[in-house]
Amino acid sequence: MTDRDVDQQLVERVQRGDKHAFDLLVSKYQRRLSRLISRFVRDSAEAEDVTQEAFIKAYRALASFRGESAFYTWLYRIGINTAKNHLLSNKRRAPSSTVFDADEAESFEDAGLLREVNTPENELMSKQVVGVVQASLQQLPEDLRSALTLREIEGLSYEEIASVMNCPVGTVRSRIFRAREAVAENLRPLLETSKGKRW
Amino acid sequence: MKQEISAFMDGELFEDESEILLDQIKGSHSARKNWAAYHLIGDVLRQPEHIHCDLSAKIRNLMQDEPVLFAPRGRAIREKTRAFAMSAAASLAAIGVVSWMSLQIGPESAPRMAMQLNSIRPAKAEILPKSNDYLMAHQEFSPSTDMSGGAYYIRTVSYRTDDVQPRNNLRNK
Repeated sequence: MTDRDVDQQLVERVQRGDKHAFDLLVSKYQRRLSRLISRFVRDSAEAEDVTQEAFIKAYRALASFRGESAFYTWLYRIGINTAKNHLLSNKRRAPSSTVFDADEAESFEDAGLLREVNTPENELMSKQVVGVVQASLQQLPEDLRSALTLREIEGLSYEEIASVMNCPVGTVRSRIFRAREAVAENLRPLLETSKGKRW
Repeated sequence: MKQEISAFMDGELFEDESEILLDQIKGSHSARKNWAAYHLIGDVLRQPEHIHCDLSAKIRNLMQDEPVLFAPRGRAIREKTRAFAMSAAASLAAIGVVSWMSLQIGPESAPRMAMQLNSIRPAKAEILPKSNDYLMAHQEFSPSTDMSGGAYYIRTVSYRTDDVQPRNNLRNK
């Protein structure tokens, strides 16, 4: 299965009436979509609203999604249209100098812009989350850290990682899981304490 | 289940395995939290400068007002179409092979085969009258018979017309 197949499976479950599957898609794509929309809508509160609206629009349109394109490409198109409509309804112009597509949105690195739109509270929380994840990663044994990095940053499949690390695929699967779980274990107290707030 | 979640998000589970897992996740709040945490870790590692607040709770609240979707299964339809196309192609290929084979034994080759058949003559074997009884008695062991399996149960009877005299004639004598 590819990443696209995973999304397609979740989409089909939503289409069969499983709302929880949509929740999983939201968890997966909310940050990427939010990042994309932040390029159009500078105000963080507004960007949040537009992101939520885009997800709801996507859910309503999901019945007609046939999987001709990848789910995230389709979702990003909805996000861009929602953001542009939001700006039009507020008689503001969308940034016209840049033509966006999903790939571009994935690779854009305008961190300064995001810091500009984030509230101080959000920014503090984001910094804490990033700090915990990075510190946890550094504490991991070398084999776990390498497996997780090759998967998450390099995007290698388990088979490719097994080849790089010279170990069976089952070992890769186990190492990636143990690495994730170790980082998540450190992250959970932070996510739990801010449950009622924003995380 | 956590390890399966980790493998599934990397696309490393088979479809049937992931269907079972998704059924389990559906009823487990903690499983959904693990899914969210693992994705957050991935996002942080890829782009640490773009981490925003979590919107999933808000979207979940908004979703409560939305109706449940029931749409046709795109993939199932595609798979059925593909299966039908494959079986149709296989049938056509089979028909093609049979047609090609029948053409090989077509009108051109038929006379040649007939000539070959004419040239084949059964060998004349002179069987001594004595050996007839022997052959009859051992016919069931002959490899040439198609009914060798059932020959044991078949009783063979033979007679010569010139040897047999009608009973009426015997009585008359």
